Amino acid sequence: MSEALDPRKTFGEALVEAGEKNPNIIAISADSSKGSGLGPFRERFPDRHLEFGIMEQGVLGFAAGLATTGKVPFVASIAPFVTARPFEMFRNDLGYMNQNVKVVGRCAGMTYSDLGATHQSLDDIAITRTIPGVTVINPGDPVEIRRAVHAVASHVGPVYMKIGSPKMPVLFGEEHQFEIGRGVLMEDGKDVTLIGTGTVLSKACEAAQLLRKRGVEVRLINIHTIKPLDSELLVRAAEETGKVVTVEEHYLIGGLGSAVSELLSQRCPVPMKFIGVDDQYVSNGPYEELLALYGLQPQQIADTVLSFM
Amino acid sequence: MSQLSEVEEVALKRMAVTIRKDILRMVKAGHAGHIGGALSSADILTALYFKIMRTQPHNPSWPQRDRFVLSAGHKCLALYAVLAEKGFFDKSILDTYGSLGSLLPGHPNMHCLPGIETNTGALGHGLSIAGGMAMGLRMKGTDARVYVIMGDGELAEGSNWEAAAAASHHRLDNLVLFVDRNSLQISGRTVEVMSYEPLQARWEAFGWSVREINGHDMRQIVEAAASAPFAQTKPSVILANTVKSKGLSFAEDRVNYHYWKATDEEIARADRDIAAMEEDLSNE
Repeated sequence: MSEALDPRKTFGEALVEAGEKNPNIIAISADSSKGSGLGPFRERFPDRHLEFGIMEQGVLGFAAGLATTGKVPFVASIAPFVTARPFEMFRNDLGYMNQNVKVVGRCAGMTYSDLGATHQSLDDIAITRTIPGVTVINPGDPVEIRRAVHAVASHVGPVYMKIGSPKMPVLFGEEHQFEIGRGVLMEDGKDVTLIGTGTVLSKACEAAQLLRKRGVEVRLINIHTIKPLDSELLVRAAEETGKVVTVEEHYLIGGLGSAVSELLSQRCPVPMKFIGVDDQYVSNGPYEELLALYGLQPQQIADTVLSFM
Repeated sequence: MSQLSEVEEVALKRMAVTIRKDILRMVKAGHAGHIGGALSSADILTALYFKIMRTQPHNPSWPQRDRFVLSAGHKCLALYAVLAEKGFFDKSILDTYGSLGSLLPGHPNMHCLPGIETNTGALGHGLSIAGGMAMGLRMKGTDARVYVIMGDGELAEGSNWEAAAAASHHRLDNLVLFVDRNSLQISGRTVEVMSYEPLQARWEAFGWSVREINGHDMRQIVEAAASAPFAQTKPSVILANTVKSKGLSFAEDRVNYHYWKATDEEIARADRDIAAMEEDLSNE
């Protein structure tokens, strides 16, 4: 895990690759094109980069309208401003109309750590996964971001994808397979299942290593697609390990832990522990310190798992 | 397209009567409906679908077609009537209005029937979607146009003004908006509930070219729509002055007929009123 890459830059490069393959792909900006990683796309395809300014409600309607004519719009902006703010546009114009629009929420989670709760997005998964037909993706490393962009571009239907801002450790090799709705078994084990997603997948990986040193055989799973959930992989893990811990940079209400518990409570009820942010507006300060404040650093995750067992 | 012969004008007026009969047909089936806005916009919809717009009812996803977006989705009885008369679907479907699982929900759903382009109902969405359609059509190099109807009460939704600014900024002169200015909304007179007057000055300030017409005068509707864009590179808005519940003597310009729970007696009166409209036309 020595190398770390900028998620927004990675997203932008991948979007150019996807744009080379599919001339219908267009990029839609709400005034933060460069910050959203769209700079290279704008340079390569100036006519396919549309700017709307800080118009964070109507921009989703415009994207839906463009999609009705065969375009494949990628709308990228700061996560809360393309999810919480225009929720009804997301639900009606993209979801209910089932339009082929890809919304990318960047600097998601607490990555705008010093800017306070208005700019942090700890409810985006909770919000978007309530919308029927919307695929919700939270890639766990730069390789997965690249793969996810291509998968999302090929998928027909509305998608929400979130990416962070600080450099992300590279966890996967170039051979990494990414399939929407298919979780990744990263390490096998029979004592406890540890499920990570997105920006804190790397923290869960480190925690798993710490737990192994303590003799705990952790089954480590990466859930990059929150919806649709890989029910087969998760039910089997619950059956075979009997305990499940989820790790996410998101509210405990409505996120990965909620989604997994909705599944397991019906299919294979087992004791669960959720690691994430409880019901509060988060503090502000350096990013890594904020993660620590909410128990999301590797040693804290390992300790939580140990005490849970 | 722009010329309307007298014969065509009378034919359009007759079709508008038929549309009103169809609207009543659905109200009879469902015992209720958003009658006020459907009847205030019925003449505009008739003119669009039977004179102005390029459509192929047998081939509803024809790429070159003009698009129609009913931003004020609650006026959908008029849209359903026009689409049925135009042949997009069988008129017998109109009799299912209000029944469980009907293909005619109280706000339009594009997945239910051919010819419906968008899912609207929540106000303030249609103009953005239509703007995106207009951009996409232009990018594809087609000369198809996008027509929108919204209500004057709907103008209080801020998202409309986002869309208005963006349509002007992106020079969408293939976008034509009708404001069905029937001057009423659920709780009263629009100017008293939340005034956006002066409408003409506001739209002009947002970079649109503006015309004002009588929204029940077929000749004025057709001439305005056919002469859009009124200014090159600008989107066009037609402020159509209308009467809510137009055609029903007991309901015209009355706020409590925004949504009508029809009694048998009122239905009988409505039938007589529409028959009288038809009778007047046969004398023309």
